[in-house]
Amino acid sequence: MQREALSKGFVYTLLIIGGLLMILPFVWMISTSLKAPNEVMIMPPKWIPDIFHWDNYVTAWTMAPFARYTLNSLVVVIASTIGELITTILAAYAFSRINFYGRDIAFAVLLGTMMVPGEVLLIPNFVTLANLGWIDQYEALIIPWLASIFSIFLLRQFFLSIPKELSFAAKIDGCSDFRFLWSIMVPLAKPALITIALLKAIGSWNAFLWPLIVTSSENMRTLPVGLTSFSTDAGTMYELLMAASTMIILPMIILYIILQKYIIEGVARAGIKG
Amino acid sequence: MNDTPTIGKTLKALLYLAPALLIIGTFNIYPIIKSFLMSFYTDYDYFKDIVNERGLSNYSYIFQDPEFWLSMKNTMIFVIGVVPISIILSLGIAVLLNQKIKFRGFFRTVYFIPFVTSVVAVSIVWRWIFHTQYGLLNHFLGFFGVSPIKWLSDPQMAMPALIILAVWKGLGYNIIIFLAGLQNINQQYYLAAKIDGASSWQRFKNITVPLLSSTTFFISIISIINSFKVFDEVFALFGGQPGPANSAQTVVYYIFNKFYGEWDFGVASAAAYALFIVIFILTLVQLYVGKRKVNY
Amino acid sequence: MEVQMKDVTMQFNNITAVDRMNVTIEDGELVSMLGPSGCGKSTTLFMLAGLYKPTAGEIFFGDRLVNKIEPEHREIGMVFQNYALYPHLSVLKNIMFPLKMRKVSKGEAEELAREMAKLVQIDHLLDRKPGQLSGGQQQRVAIARALVKKPKILLLDEPLSNLDARLRLEMREEIRRIQQEVKITTIFVTHDQEEAMSISDKILLMKDGKFQQFCPPQEMYDHPENEFVASFLGSPPINLFPASLMDNLKDVSISGTNDVITLSSPLKEGMDPARQVTLGIRPEDFYIETDEKKQGILGKTIMVERIGRDNLLNVEVQNKTVRAIVSPDLRIERGDVVKLGILPERAHLFAVHTGENLLDSKLR
Repeated sequence: MQREALSKGFVYTLLIIGGLLMILPFVWMISTSLKAPNEVMIMPPKWIPDIFHWDNYVTAWTMAPFARYTLNSLVVVIASTIGELITTILAAYAFSRINFYGRDIAFAVLLGTMMVPGEVLLIPNFVTLANLGWIDQYEALIIPWLASIFSIFLLRQFFLSIPKELSFAAKIDGCSDFRFLWSIMVPLAKPALITIALLKAIGSWNAFLWPLIVTSSENMRTLPVGLTSFSTDAGTMYELLMAASTMIILPMIILYIILQKYIIEGVARAGIKG
Repeated sequence: MNDTPTIGKTLKALLYLAPALLIIGTFNIYPIIKSFLMSFYTDYDYFKDIVNERGLSNYSYIFQDPEFWLSMKNTMIFVIGVVPISIILSLGIAVLLNQKIKFRGFFRTVYFIPFVTSVVAVSIVWRWIFHTQYGLLNHFLGFFGVSPIKWLSDPQMAMPALIILAVWKGLGYNIIIFLAGLQNINQQYYLAAKIDGASSWQRFKNITVPLLSSTTFFISIISIINSFKVFDEVFALFGGQPGPANSAQTVVYYIFNKFYGEWDFGVASAAAYALFIVIFILTLVQLYVGKRKVNY
Repeated sequence: MEVQMKDVTMQFNNITAVDRMNVTIEDGELVSMLGPSGCGKSTTLFMLAGLYKPTAGEIFFGDRLVNKIEPEHREIGMVFQNYALYPHLSVLKNIMFPLKMRKVSKGEAEELAREMAKLVQIDHLLDRKPGQLSGGQQQRVAIARALVKKPKILLLDEPLSNLDARLRLEMREEIRRIQQEVKITTIFVTHDQEEAMSISDKILLMKDGKFQQFCPPQEMYDHPENEFVASFLGSPPINLFPASLMDNLKDVSISGTNDVITLSSPLKEGMDPARQVTLGIRPEDFYIETDEKKQGILGKTIMVERIGRDNLLNVEVQNKTVRAIVSPDLRIERGDVVKLGILPERAHLFAVHTGENLLDSKLR
């Protein structure tokens, strides 16, 4: 009994140390973001500033066009998430409920292309967008991301688990296929759709390499791209850098904490499927 | 309704698939072929999309370019550094979390937080943590008598810094997958082993490790592939530079630099295809071994 | 509405699921489609529903050929094995759904739905979601949803198989009650012969996609067309003895024994009587023959089981177990040798090769 209590204590200690290592960077980030400039570069470090300098956020916000970056990020996240949901729902329905010629081959080809790393697609996509005249436009930030094979795969699996009799019943009740999809399948697939939307929104909010390449003017930058250019300007003004980082990191942490069930389940399910 | 394909159903399906296929066709499938072709463009005007000359010289260029080999080497070091550490740590934490403990959900939440955050933003946070003079890490190491390390300016230390950041960032994902794998193991094995008198370490070694091998294998391959593609961290941690004295130049950074820095699309495409081949082989290994069911 | 199937055939790839079905179901009848699993009964039902299109043959609802008519225009209601209720809609919304699809105004739809809910006795559950209901209640909702648009035909696909034994009894009475109240032509698929026997006006028995017999349950039980029908109905099942028909075409000798049974019904006319036959006797058609001079089948009792009013005997005849349900008045112990007499006109005789019933029945 005593040995068990001892090992339990050991388990908790390890988990708490590990957990602290996970969140300490964020605590440190927020702590620094609230410091006066003369409190930042001192040894030993100070965890709680004397006065909370909320004005650091205002300074950072106005030093670079963060309002514009945020607007751009929001536009990209919202448009690409909604767009992806629509294309995914339609495609997943076709792959799960319509038996058409070449269905299995088409699906296998799509899954196969998931193996190709995004970096390979970067250059031709840049050329395509340049030819379309979309470089440094919202189109370049949004349109290539309006469909995802991974999401189609995830939703198709979910749709397949909905009993076929439901569509038979709806058919007898006089419900068209398209209406059945939107009024029965979509409400039923809500958990899967939330997972897809969340993973998409997080990925889109955090995306860096693509927006870096297709934007050139300050006006089109998204938050992560804006932050890197701000980091060059701000140099060693860490309280401002940390304030800006917090503005990017915190919304996703909050979103995650509220809806973590959907994110963790989605990741676990996708992972097990391999 | 009879479940056989017909022309009518195929047309209907096409209607449903059209939006997704248009996007995927243009931005996922076409570029796979296009980039392969582009890797042979030796003289190319991308504004007008005119190819003046084709040949193998892009490939011979990258294979003779010491910078390419340096980035391959750095990427390898990064992979070898990140993958084993991350797997051992996340397996350990997952096993601890899988015990009958309170606040399991809370711990799981905490470990997963870094995964949802912007790589660029956390890299900037870590830049501050790695600060030689006032950084948190050197402060803590000071307690153990370690003199300040120049994490970001010493070419010897840039790669370890990058590895620490990557392990920290990716740990939560691996833990979630390991936990899902652990929950698939039938508890009866453990009860049986307990009755047979196996200690907890023996149970871990003889039940958990073998029964979890397919999960471990999956995570290894995914981690290797993702580590091969490291870029955002490098860019943000070293302020747009590939580390001191190119010590953190990775393959994707090399591609990025050839493409966006030097506008040499052919060489960049060739390098991207070389990366693709490496990842493709890894994926095939995964599919092949995965089919044969690891260990049981 | 009358339902007529003419040579209806369904093929999946190379498998013939339903083979040239010819049946006419009269208006207002409750018909059970019965048969072992995979016999094509559900496929037939799905063809009537329009969810499958027959590969050959014609289906008529009244005078209307419906082969090319889509399910929603066939004026049918259907209840599925797993009920197929829309999980995210309340009971009321589920029942209203078919009306909503027909663009019936909301007020009227709700009124009709409530009326229907009352008929199936779930009017106190209207705000619940299907997940919060018991199996029997879900079943009632499914029936209400099927009936709310006042269909001409009600189709039920194994509607009771997901219920426990007690509920199953209750629900089959309910289906019968509702059917008689609405007076709707009802076709009911089941693999449970007892269920079919208890509620239907007629049973349509199928095997391997082929029609076997279509008639009222008692008639099917008493006068099976063939050996399969005889052995599919009844529990405990009918006893079958290999036997041979003697030259006088009246006596049957049971193989491997000295027992001879004289038939009390005549053979069918114009029949070329095969000599190798199977004699079939239902357990309840035996009695214990005490008169030594009379005919009977001799065997050794290996088990005596009291079931309610009767005794169930297991009697060994030629290394095979014969079951007999007899009056308990005569005390019989395990190990006793008994002679099993057969009630008059209760023996069935089947041809060995075709399984066809060889005896003429007055009913036909």
